[in-house]
Amino acid sequence: MAKFGPKRQGPRSDIPAKLGRTHRQEHLNLTTTHNGHHRPPPRPPRRPYPPSLIPTHPKHPLRLGPGLRHVPPSSILPTVAGQLIVNPHKTSMWIESNGGRYTPSPSDLVIGRVLRSAADLYYVSLSPYTPPASLPHLAFESATKKTRPQLAPGALVYARVSLANRHMDPELECVSPSTGKADGLGPLTGGMVFDVSPGFARRLLLARSRDEGGVEVLELLGAEGVAFETAVGRNGRVWVGSESVKAVVVVGRALKETDEGRLGGEEQRRLVKRLVREMR
Amino acid sequence: MPREAEPSLNEKQFVLQALKEDVRLDGRDLDQYRPLELTFGDQHGVAEVTLGKTKVLVKTSAEVTVPYPDRPLDGIFTIATELSPMTAPSFEVNRPTETEVLLARLLEKTVRRSGALDTESLCLVAGQKVWSVRVDVHVLSHDGNLTDAACFAVVASLRHFRKPDTSMEGGVLTVYTPAEREPVPLSWLHSPFCISWSFYGDMGEIAVLDATWVEEQVRVGSCTISLNRHGEICQIAKLGGTPVEAVALLQCTSVALAKAKELSGLLDTKLAEDAKRRDKGGLLAELSAENDR
Amino acid sequence: MPLDTSAYSLALLRVDGRRWNELRRVHAQIRTQAAADGSSYLEMGHTKVMCVVTGPSEPGARRGGTTGGAGGGGNNAAEVSVTVVVAGFSSVDRKRRGRGDKRNLELQSTISNALAASLHTHLYPHSTISISLHVLSQDGSLLAALINAATLACVDAGIPMTDYVVACTAGSTSTYAANDEDADPLLDLNHQEEQELPSLTVATLGATDRVAVLVCESRVQASRLEGMLAVGVDGCKQVREILDRVVRDKGRKMVSEGTVERGIGLESMDLD
Repeated sequence: MAKFGPKRQGPRSDIPAKLGRTHRQEHLNLTTTHNGHHRPPPRPPRRPYPPSLIPTHPKHPLRLGPGLRHVPPSSILPTVAGQLIVNPHKTSMWIESNGGRYTPSPSDLVIGRVLRSAADLYYVSLSPYTPPASLPHLAFESATKKTRPQLAPGALVYARVSLANRHMDPELECVSPSTGKADGLGPLTGGMVFDVSPGFARRLLLARSRDEGGVEVLELLGAEGVAFETAVGRNGRVWVGSESVKAVVVVGRALKETDEGRLGGEEQRRLVKRLVREMR
Repeated sequence: MPREAEPSLNEKQFVLQALKEDVRLDGRDLDQYRPLELTFGDQHGVAEVTLGKTKVLVKTSAEVTVPYPDRPLDGIFTIATELSPMTAPSFEVNRPTETEVLLARLLEKTVRRSGALDTESLCLVAGQKVWSVRVDVHVLSHDGNLTDAACFAVVASLRHFRKPDTSMEGGVLTVYTPAEREPVPLSWLHSPFCISWSFYGDMGEIAVLDATWVEEQVRVGSCTISLNRHGEICQIAKLGGTPVEAVALLQCTSVALAKAKELSGLLDTKLAEDAKRRDKGGLLAELSAENDR
Repeated sequence: MPLDTSAYSLALLRVDGRRWNELRRVHAQIRTQAAADGSSYLEMGHTKVMCVVTGPSEPGARRGGTTGGAGGGGNNAAEVSVTVVVAGFSSVDRKRRGRGDKRNLELQSTISNALAASLHTHLYPHSTISISLHVLSQDGSLLAALINAATLACVDAGIPMTDYVVACTAGSTSTYAANDEDADPLLDLNHQEEQELPSLTVATLGATDRVAVLVCESRVQASRLEGMLAVGVDGCKQVREILDRVVRDKGRKMVSEGTVERGIGLESMDLD
């Protein structure tokens, strides 16, 4: 169980309030949780969380993730239906929901489609029918005015969200501002993109996606000898590249069927066996 | 108006490359349909068709009106097709896009102009009273091949529909409620089905059936053929696009005929199942019991 | 007025005295409008249409035409915008057609998509080719006449294209109800025949067998399609010869009048 520090006094001015869409929510599904995370009891909707649920730390401020809203002075309200996840080690809490479209938040890895190029930035679409994000021409590894990558309209980029604000279009970068290295970000050439749900993309992005996210299709396919590479965007897009067209199709189908059918571990193993057999 | 979503360059190139190797993204054969599902509503004349992720809901309704003065002996039969922002934000109400106009025209030519419904049978009193049958097509989600799904749904809905029974006695027209007399089906002559081909390649040499939305975005041409199971073509529409060999088009027609027969069989089975489900001897048994007394 | 189809089997002559494989008189002119970049006037029997092409030019205000194009991502190719205006006096009954008439929109979209595939639109990025068609008189084969006129006007405007897009109609001598095995296919239907008999419009790319447009709006046995299509494709080849003649005659005339010099561009053109 998690440990909690002394109860805070006064208004929590240090909480970066993160506002999602203010849907009226009906239920909170709080039944499952991940390893090491606190499991809160079910709560009636639209009521502030009790202080006992909120992680505190003598030094680090509390970090609120997507789906939570800070109402001064000290209540925290959910704004979307989903699963509350509390991480006491990082003094953070957020709500995981699997519906709707992606809302950008800082340091998310995303796959975007270049819409057009302006004077010093690219306009990039993260999800259809939403305002585009901007990606400066110079936000690539060792890019100068002359050596920046030339991206045609329709090209794909793997980028990190550097700025996301409720009232502004998000900004992207393909380079780490501290080290100046790309770290795998940049234009994606060849391959194919598959659309999955944002929740599934998050499960794929977990450091231990097999144990924590329950997704093992990619590892299973690799073990079957299918050679491919992937890039997962938090906005529900997975890029798959391979020498062989069939391998890409098989990986894409495996991902989509796992996501849409909400397959468990055993079902995923069966799915992979079937797909690999069909491929050969 | 929001821009229509568009696939990225990578997606376009990959889909084309895969089709050249006879591979489709969902593992289908080039001439294979996605699973087609048809469900009827509680009311007569409501049909919902799902084709992969494409979903179309069709409702047929009828009312008694005055006929058009130039056609006093014909009933009125209209098919209203609407692509609303519910399908995708790029569709607007009251400002039809090209997709919507072409879909409406195809359904019109396939079902109405081919004389599938006998409009003369809808006449009640010549020049004064006719049935006006209206078919409303609602596209709930669009993942390619709207025409085939919509056409199948329209035909299913019209064949499932029952209009109130009527009688003429001494110049008095009586329309009976369902409780008084069992509603009657429309006078249906033949069931046409749309089969859409998409063409790929520089010469349009790769022909694909039932394209998904992404596949539709990269095709160089398309051809919709409407046939019934008697081997009659009701309509062909290859509206421009990359020219395709005439012989290939003839082959497409013969494959389409086989598919139309399959669809026709599927519809017959579904209609029979639904009739069985509804026929509990309820209304008819009730009425006959009354008559016996 | 029902068409007396029984007369055909006696003399093998159609209502207007043609045989099964005869085209009506095709008369065409190009460069009829001085103000336009390209223009044409075409008669197929009593079907008379005019066409004016403007462009390729910068996309200006949208004039309500239907655009289509092989464009794709961004404005990498010119868009072909087509408007069809049907004159009120063009047919026997004066029917007013609104702006949003679906039949008209379908015609526009068909012509635009057919031409976009054969014009080299990729040479003119970020531009518009606007084609304006006017129907002066209707007597069947309307779509075919419109396509032919638009092709001629595009040739006149000097827009590079793969080949002529040429069109004509084909039909069959008995209605779908009569399951007549020895029904003859017919070429180039007039209005009366179009009303009574199954018909289709074919457009091919030049003299090849490649079909750009195939529109059939009537019920017909699938087994008869092959014959009708073959006759239609053959008719398109004849139409291409006629249109090509028109273009060459005009070219020769312009050289002899001294309007254009016999230059490098015309060397390759066979002006015998």
